[in-house]
Amino acid sequence: MKIIVGIADMQMTKNPDVTLITYSLGSCIGVTLYDPVVKVGGLLHFMLPDSQIDIQKAQKNPWMFADTGLPLFFNEAYQLGAEKKRIQVKVVGGAQILDDSGYFNIGKRNYMALRKIFWANNILIQAEDVGGNMNRTVSIELSSGKVWVKTSGDGVREL
Amino acid sequence: MNLEESILQSVQKLPPFPAVIQRVLQLIHDPRSTTQEVVEVIQYDQSITVEVLKLCNSAYFGLRRNVHSLREALVMIGFDQLLEMILCRESSRFFYHPCKGYDLEYGALWRHSIVSALLSGIISKRLGQEMSPTHFTAALIHDIGKVVLSEFVEDYFGEIKQVMEKKGLAFIEAEKEVLGIDHAELGGRIVEKWNFPKVIASCVRFHHYPCSTREDQEMVRLTYLCDMVAMTTGIGGGADGLSYHAYEEVMRQYQLREKDIEYFIVQMEDQFQTVEKMLRIRF
Repeated sequence: MKIIVGIADMQMTKNPDVTLITYSLGSCIGVTLYDPVVKVGGLLHFMLPDSQIDIQKAQKNPWMFADTGLPLFFNEAYQLGAEKKRIQVKVVGGAQILDDSGYFNIGKRNYMALRKIFWANNILIQAEDVGGNMNRTVSIELSSGKVWVKTSGDGVREL
Repeated sequence: MNLEESILQSVQKLPPFPAVIQRVLQLIHDPRSTTQEVVEVIQYDQSITVEVLKLCNSAYFGLRRNVHSLREALVMIGFDQLLEMILCRESSRFFYHPCKGYDLEYGALWRHSIVSALLSGIISKRLGQEMSPTHFTAALIHDIGKVVLSEFVEDYFGEIKQVMEKKGLAFIEAEKEVLGIDHAELGGRIVEKWNFPKVIASCVRFHHYPCSTREDQEMVRLTYLCDMVAMTTGIGGGADGLSYHAYEEVMRQYQLREKDIEYFIVQMEDQFQTVEKMLRIRF
């Protein structure tokens, strides 16, 4: 069963029949996590690095921002029995427009915000497919924890 | 017939835009016309009227009493919203289909179009431009060229990719080099053929070249910004990805900063969730 994770959205589950998928990431970032022992898996699709831009919005939908979405995402996994030391984390997306002046470099800032939060919390990234200027779709199979990335205009590969 | 000629020829296969909408767009563009006149034109089209009434009476608007005529609808939801609703429904027939060449599935290009149209309201406010259904329309249909060009992009995708890599070109530049015409230029021709107001044709034609025209510059630049922000979000994005150039000059002209772009995205996301629900209402 396929469950779609929308933009600025998150799903966490223990159901082994489920594949979580989020489409066309652009500058947004998709983060998958998986605990292979309790088989808990999740997928977060966040759009922007910093909730300071609109705190009310962050209260309404914390998944929109890296700084509010990521901590809650991990908490959801712990509540389902996942343990930090076992969690495998993969990161996809963070693309950007061809722009030397950097106005549109939200992809890069999303990735930097994520790295900073992970570093402060001792979280290692197991694999990633980030940057460039392509759209990516990412999915995670709960039965195996396998993560698949489809680059738009190209094929699908396991990450 | 060379490739560019066969591309131009295949524009003929595109169904015409409803005549009523063409007329409405011309009227809106004419400062002497009145809302009354616009409503009179629309009500001659029964299918549009029926759709509008169904939508107005749906749970989405939550109106306390039923709306029975276009005039009532106008009073209840306002002129601009009424028109935007009609424009969205009428243009969906062009944008909903998959565009295989750009690796866009069913509904993807439509979502990108809606996101751009929503951004036109948000960004024009920030730029101090007065928002009108003309702005909305330009942003909504800016990628119409892709609908026709898709089958050619599909056939020549490998070559386009090769040219991009070899020459370090953006997708649209490679598109132009391989096919002889790019989706923006082709879109401009389509919109001219539909007899839309000239300003809309300029917006479509120059939405990737905002610094290449002095005519209708303000609106062209707005359409460009809407597309850039929409592309950045990735919503409804395809094989061309984010491989398009940004122009610093436009950012400086309007004194826009990085945070503005982020704020546009926050505002858009709010509206997009609501509009998506509305557009899912079946007829």
